Amino acid sequence: MAFKAISIVVARCLSSLELLFRLDRGLPQSNLRLVVDGLAGALAIGVVATTSVAAQEKPNAVGLGIFTFTSGPAAAYGMPGKNAADLMIDEINATGGIEGVPVSATYVDEAQGAQGVIAEYRRLAGDAKNQVMIAALSSATCLALAPLAEQLEVPTVGWNCDTHQLLMDGKSKYVFRPNGNTVPEFIAYAIYLLDRKPDVKTVAIINPDYAFGHDAAKIFTAALKALKPDIQIVAELYPKLGSPNYQTEISRLTTARPDVVFSNLWGADLENFVRQATPRGLFASSQVILALGETVLQRVPLPDGVIVGVLGDGWWMSPDAKANPETVKFAEAYKRRFGEYPVFPAIKMANALIYVKAAYKAAMQKNGGKRPTRAELADAMKGSKVATLTGTAQTRADNDGLVDQIVGVTVKTPAQQFPVIGDMARYKGDSLMPQVGQDPLAWISTLKPEFAKSLPKPGSYK
Amino acid sequence: MSNAIIPLLLDSLASAALIFFAAVGLTLVFSVLRVLNVAHGSLYSIGGYVAASICLFITSRQLNPYLSFVALLFSAVFVAAIFGPLIERSLVRWTYGKSEAVQILITFGLFLILEDLQRVTFGVQSFYEDAPMRLLGTLNVGGVVYLNYQIFLIGMALFVVIGLRLLINHTRLGRLITAVVTDREMAQSIGIDTNRIFILAFSLGVFLAALGGALATPTSGIAPGLGADTMVLAFAVAAIGGLGQIEGAAVASLIVGVARVLAIYLVPSLDAVAPYAAMLVVLLIRPYGLFGSVTARRI
Amino acid sequence: MRTIVAASAVLILAVLPVAAPWLQFVLTVAIAKGFAALGVAVLLRAGLISIGHAMFFAASAYGVAFLARAGINDLGLLLILSVLVAALVGAIAGMFLVRYRAIFFAMLNLAVSMVFYALCAKLYGVTGGTDGLPVPIPAVFGIAVGEPVFKSVLFYLSLALMLLVGLAVQRYLNSPLGHALSAVHSNEIRLEYLGIPVWTVLLIAYVISAALAGLGGAIAGFAIGRVVPDFAFWTASGHLVLIAVLGGIGGVPGAFLGALFLELLHSAAVTVTDAWNLIVGMTLIIVIMFLPQGFYGLFSRKEASSL
Repeated sequence: MAFKAISIVVARCLSSLELLFRLDRGLPQSNLRLVVDGLAGALAIGVVATTSVAAQEKPNAVGLGIFTFTSGPAAAYGMPGKNAADLMIDEINATGGIEGVPVSATYVDEAQGAQGVIAEYRRLAGDAKNQVMIAALSSATCLALAPLAEQLEVPTVGWNCDTHQLLMDGKSKYVFRPNGNTVPEFIAYAIYLLDRKPDVKTVAIINPDYAFGHDAAKIFTAALKALKPDIQIVAELYPKLGSPNYQTEISRLTTARPDVVFSNLWGADLENFVRQATPRGLFASSQVILALGETVLQRVPLPDGVIVGVLGDGWWMSPDAKANPETVKFAEAYKRRFGEYPVFPAIKMANALIYVKAAYKAAMQKNGGKRPTRAELADAMKGSKVATLTGTAQTRADNDGLVDQIVGVTVKTPAQQFPVIGDMARYKGDSLMPQVGQDPLAWISTLKPEFAKSLPKPGSYK
Repeated sequence: MSNAIIPLLLDSLASAALIFFAAVGLTLVFSVLRVLNVAHGSLYSIGGYVAASICLFITSRQLNPYLSFVALLFSAVFVAAIFGPLIERSLVRWTYGKSEAVQILITFGLFLILEDLQRVTFGVQSFYEDAPMRLLGTLNVGGVVYLNYQIFLIGMALFVVIGLRLLINHTRLGRLITAVVTDREMAQSIGIDTNRIFILAFSLGVFLAALGGALATPTSGIAPGLGADTMVLAFAVAAIGGLGQIEGAAVASLIVGVARVLAIYLVPSLDAVAPYAAMLVVLLIRPYGLFGSVTARRI
Repeated sequence: MRTIVAASAVLILAVLPVAAPWLQFVLTVAIAKGFAALGVAVLLRAGLISIGHAMFFAASAYGVAFLARAGINDLGLLLILSVLVAALVGAIAGMFLVRYRAIFFAMLNLAVSMVFYALCAKLYGVTGGTDGLPVPIPAVFGIAVGEPVFKSVLFYLSLALMLLVGLAVQRYLNSPLGHALSAVHSNEIRLEYLGIPVWTVLLIAYVISAALAGLGGAIAGFAIGRVVPDFAFWTASGHLVLIAVLGGIGGVPGAFLGALFLELLHSAAVTVTDAWNLIVGMTLIIVIMFLPQGFYGLFSRKEASSL
């Protein structure tokens, strides 16, 4: 129906333009009507194309708006998320949907920037069919959408949204993040590093030049200084996001001769860095930490002994994941369909969908099997504890998530062609988080060296 | 300090070589056609994609690995032969004699189209093949390990500068191009087929862009978004050197390379600002670039 | 006749959000970009292409965010002050930049705006880095309002401003100062012989165009609720030039027509496909090739030829 309307309008537009060219020189005055027609038509395209969904009859599906990067450099992280969502939704629908209602998703490309994303969010929110937004990947998008979610009262699940600033004011009613945030994610690396290399003296940092890179450097440094005050940061490099070349940075890192090189580069940047640093011996001269290293394990040959992790518990080969038949099935299906095993962004997305599904079920149980409202869904998410593919996602009073953190080192295994993570530690989600309402950086600076003693040791998680 | 100078120098040269490859085609096209091709960066990444695809094919068939060096060159020729005439004939030719705004916008539209086409064709993951880099091995300079491939790149950049100079000064085609650059109408009136020169010059520009992309793939994968970044960088370098000046582009690449390297060593937080700051300073002092000449004002 | 067209166009715009509420946001942003594109178009009159006007757009939006943080909480005051911020930045940059012409003017504007962009992204402690700064909802004439009300107020205010500012710019372009701009384009040296200070003429135009971009930036900042460095990226500047040329640089309505067209096209394209860049790019090429005067050229052909 909508498509027919669109094509009619397009045809009308085109025909009026064509007339214009023909009459171009002859009758300028009478062109005016046609021009107005054309412009009105152009306006109408916008209106029709975008309101057609709203004009549909009574909703018979659970509508989800899913925000991720499907173009631009960040798509390297965003597409696994979209793939996982596609796969999960197909699987949910193949088994009868959520409580008998099929799921339908609308994807929004975050590469449009804040303005386009907000426009899309408003459009999707204007359609009653869409009950939950799974938004978003980038912290900047999440921060821009959060106030909107509260105003429009749409439950919004941050499937990645690492920044610790998102829920800091503790007043959120509709924004949820069933994930860790930058604070536990990067403290985990500091603790793991000091357990594995207690005598480390000098550290160099190379992070991408945007909020995520700077936040991570700040948290990692603060945690290291609190746990081992004599540590020195000998170099801090912030190459531009999307830089293809790290040769100069690698020379700089090599001349600084640090014990440890820490990096939260990701996507193509990380691949380029690894590819250029390996032959130049950086991995041999320093202990390297690649915070998002798991995403490239299957793509670039990482040497043994690099500290890597998954910014959460989302490793598809972790002992918990292997013990869960659902996860094994998901990983195999993902490999069949997309040619690669699911990297942790894919698992994060899958877990976010499971989180939404659980909330939907809970809300329906509570209201007696009716189709839940947005408010009821948000209510069901509050304080929930959901079993995911790789662990549990617990929602705190401030809507922030408690998720375990897995860190380990790369090891070779006969079972796979690519390196896997071994010698792992799995830190409990709440053990690395400040209390609700506490300023995270202030909390980190209060940590004492004894703090790490009580936590699991490398190799304890198997 | 003295033992830090050689690494600094090598880093600067290697970084300048890569920057030069991104910029030289842009400046060449501008000098002949007087068109600033905003889609230049996309052609650079297309060159990279094609080169990586061919090299991957060579590796997968276990052919002689040194063939991949031939493949780098061949892919640039291939991209130039297809995209050069196509784009020049269909879009760029239409903009001759139109205002700069129209030229910039037409090629900007082309840039948007090419970026999406690449994503549809090659996907969003980084695309690479590092066989050429591994073949050449490494070199230890003052305790810092360098890739011989970086030195190969510096050599290639020198080769291109000299080659272009020879082409323009000592071949018939070069003289024709010079004639068209100097006075387009006069060249036309003495019977030079300017249309042919435009196609050739534009294709040469595409070739240089694609060659830059191809030579970059062995060390850095090609991923979405590279085209836009390359474009701004190429633009900054071309502007510093003086639009249309080949030697200017070479010197400007060195300046930007040194600026970036110094920034990374001394004030790492200013790394991203360095090229633009250099451009701003140079242009405020010499608005037509280091080697550019003042064009006559109309009376 | 033209008045009727204009009036009915504004009327359509005013009622559209009633039919589709989410369009209100798109239209507000479109009008905001229209202001900025109008600024670009003013300079285009003098033959100067600025691929850097997003800088003023962003500067004013950041201005709003900083002023709001400093405790100023009134829509009118914030708008006026942030436009002044943009005009001031424009005056400082313009003093250097209006000495240059053609592609060099374009490049210098690009360079300045890219340095500005890099600094916004870089000065993490001040500008919030790439995460940007929030723009809170201000009071409207001393009355605290809720979010939906504020967004409606903002929309209709922008619509009214579009008319008022549009008329003012029209008068400016028809004044001797405005005609001097076209004269710079066609023959700058003759203008100097006539004793007209070209530098001053252009500086005034540059400040006006920066202020217009600033007005757009402030409105966009309020509508979006957040400023990020991407506001100042070169592709954003490119889009402004695009809008100005699409709409036609001849007249004031052109900029707004172009902005509405591009924003609606974008909205429609992203709902259909991932490859929205492809659609935008193709449309752009087609429009430029087949409508060389822009949309507004269609209306004003008669007037233009009589000049």
